[in-house]
Amino acid sequence: MDASVLLALRDPAGVPFYPVVFQALYVLTWALHAAFVLLALGTMGLSLFGTFSQKHDSHWKRLTPHLIQTGKISISILIVLGVAPLLFTQVIYDPNWYVANTLSGMWVFIFIYALIVAYIMYYWYYYANKKDEGGGKLIGIISFALLVFSGLLMHNFAVTSIMPNEWMNMYAPNGVVDNSGWTFNMDLIRLAFMVSLAIPVVGIFLQNYSRFLSTKEDFSPKFIEYTASLGTKIGVIGLIISALCFVAWMLQIEYLLHPLSLAIIVGVVILLLMVAKNSNSYITTGVLVVVALLISAMRELIRFDIMANLGYSIYEYPVNLEIPTIIMFLLTFLVLGGVGVAWLLTMAWKVGKNQGVFDGSKDIIVTKLGNYTLGIMVIWMVIYFGWGMSILFANIL
Amino acid sequence: MDIIGQFPLFDFPEYGSAWMMGITGTIHILASHTSVGAAMLFAFLAYKAYKENRSDLYPYMKKYGMFLLIFSYVIGSITGPGIWYTATAASPRGISALIHNFVWVWATEWVFFVYEVIGVFVLVYFIDKIDKKTHLKLTFSFALASVGTLALIIGIISFMMWPGTQAYYVTGSASDAFFGTNTFPHMFLRIGFMIMLSGVIGLLISSAIKKDNAALSNELTKKMGYISMLGGFLVLFFFMWYMGTLPDNAHAVFNITKEEVIQNRILITIIFSLYFLIAIIKPNYISTPLAGVMIFVILIGGIWPGEKLRESMRKPYVAGQYIYSNQIISRDVPGKNIKSELPIIAEKGLLQVNPFVPENLKVITEENKLQAGELLTKMACSNCHSLENSGKYRPLKDRLVGMDKEGVKAILYAIGNGGMSYMPSLSLPEHETDAIAEYLASLKY
Repeated sequence: MDASVLLALRDPAGVPFYPVVFQALYVLTWALHAAFVLLALGTMGLSLFGTFSQKHDSHWKRLTPHLIQTGKISISILIVLGVAPLLFTQVIYDPNWYVANTLSGMWVFIFIYALIVAYIMYYWYYYANKKDEGGGKLIGIISFALLVFSGLLMHNFAVTSIMPNEWMNMYAPNGVVDNSGWTFNMDLIRLAFMVSLAIPVVGIFLQNYSRFLSTKEDFSPKFIEYTASLGTKIGVIGLIISALCFVAWMLQIEYLLHPLSLAIIVGVVILLLMVAKNSNSYITTGVLVVVALLISAMRELIRFDIMANLGYSIYEYPVNLEIPTIIMFLLTFLVLGGVGVAWLLTMAWKVGKNQGVFDGSKDIIVTKLGNYTLGIMVIWMVIYFGWGMSILFANIL
Repeated sequence: MDIIGQFPLFDFPEYGSAWMMGITGTIHILASHTSVGAAMLFAFLAYKAYKENRSDLYPYMKKYGMFLLIFSYVIGSITGPGIWYTATAASPRGISALIHNFVWVWATEWVFFVYEVIGVFVLVYFIDKIDKKTHLKLTFSFALASVGTLALIIGIISFMMWPGTQAYYVTGSASDAFFGTNTFPHMFLRIGFMIMLSGVIGLLISSAIKKDNAALSNELTKKMGYISMLGGFLVLFFFMWYMGTLPDNAHAVFNITKEEVIQNRILITIIFSLYFLIAIIKPNYISTPLAGVMIFVILIGGIWPGEKLRESMRKPYVAGQYIYSNQIISRDVPGKNIKSELPIIAEKGLLQVNPFVPENLKVITEENKLQAGELLTKMACSNCHSLENSGKYRPLKDRLVGMDKEGVKAILYAIGNGGMSYMPSLSLPEHETDAIAEYLASLKY
């Protein structure tokens, strides 16, 4: 596709801040989103396996409901985290985002409802399994299949968006315009790599699970050991599969010797050693986050190169600086988001570690974080209304 | 090369792509408004339970919370991005305009979302695992975060109607775009509706616990009746203020169906006032099936027509009164260096300036005239009208009944000259107007 067309497809309003910031935020938030996608897929897949052993195996009896619960929460979090990369990508890569969405308009619509049905069925699976051990298998399998299907549709949007030279053929093959929105494209190797990552992610999750519960008296050492070694096995096998898929993908697009690709391979090898040894899975998780960021950066590099080769550089996007709203975002993100989420997570951690009712009012950190969160929210509201009223007074009086 | 940034056109036959957005939007409004309203209700109940040491309220809150979690947070959190997604497919430039003006506002809203999503799990699952005081704080913060999401999205959807003043066009500032004259009335109108919805959903839960605890069920049903009544009053009150802050083109559209809309609203008001009165006076009359039916009535009789009206009143624009529904920039916005595309379209024609028109249709010939006419009609009209003879979405068949080519042309000229305030003033070169008229006449409405 011609550079002049790609450049014309940029929004005439320009971008409200430096494009590199959006790019960095995209890489960061996609990695977070992907982490929960993989955790949801991995825990759900493993829980389905668990439903078959749940009745006669005491370990799986205990583990399966926890896997289902983790999957359930992960889906919610992956959805909310997924909003951010969508937001940032369309600020700087409008041609890709909007063309892919319009070409696949029907799939966009189907995606939303597939995800709703999948998630509602997941709750059904959760309740059915809670009621009867080993229950809800079929519902769980359908829910899982629908979630994978939703992922496949997302993959379609991502792949279509980086095929600018094919867009015209997709939209008007042989000069006949097709408005139906049924465009569908797949890149099997890339998809296999992305999906395969669910295996090591659930492996590392199990190591963390085992480590977290090891201090609780109501979990037997046998169970703790079982889940840790299961995590190690799944993690090691998963990492080997993912590494092979990654190499195949890089060979396919001829990026294998790129420094970023090599860094990912090194990261995976380090992860493999750490998972196999399982001396501190929390540190392994930290390394996993770094590798996830590198993979996210790799995806971005591929897109950036495709577009740059066609004459579209995000760094040349006209900037119309928008200061008040970025200040609002940064302050809200760092102050409210930081303190508020820290409060919730600290509380969740302490409740998880505690036997019986946790008295947060006697815990200094939890109390302080809670008071700060409430205070910050009230101040936020006051500033919001003050800001709005001063703008309105200035503009209408 | 003279091209404008138009994208491929996605069209859903018979109903139109905007209709798909409408369905997702209606479901989302029910879920999201319920969730914000319920968050406020939750804080109220938690406060009452804590202050009056009413431990019997906690199981109700847990049930309500579970329902909220599944209903609002599963459906609401998916349909939220869902509106965005389907709107992207239906109106890519409209959404792009919003994104490029308000990306940081949306990003800020996202921070609140993250807090809410983690918070709702903590709130519901820890209700009997943490002390009451900490839980109360959680409910307060959750309510504030929920209202925060409304405070952030409201300026964006108000801007879709219009920026409210001329300041935005001059400065290009997101603050001027966000805080328009109808932002606050719109906000309080929705807060009223959220309070009412929280009560309507609360009635479903309170009626469901009748078997376990009839006295508590009656007490809560009464409370929900009062809460819903208060919310309903706020809706009516702020609706008056809101209507007074809308632009002229919105009133022009509203006047077309004014009587029907008012009748519908009066009917809905009477039905729900009676329903809430019954909840207050005879709480045991409220059964779970009735409460379920009333949620459905509010969805079909209240939200769907309400949102359809709001969408219609925006016409011919899709965002900020500078982008038409057919994805054409219709005015200059000096503050953002945006130029109107109407002059270049009038000079060169849509086929020449749209980069996704295939080469064989760029120039109209006798052979391709109908085909080009069809594409032009879709590009110019299909965002708001079904073209098919069996179309359902503001169908052209009802507007161009029995018209020949010259009749259609006369209408197109009138629209192009700005003769209808709710239609885009899109003036095309003669050969394109002719091709559209020929195509529409060939459909023999």
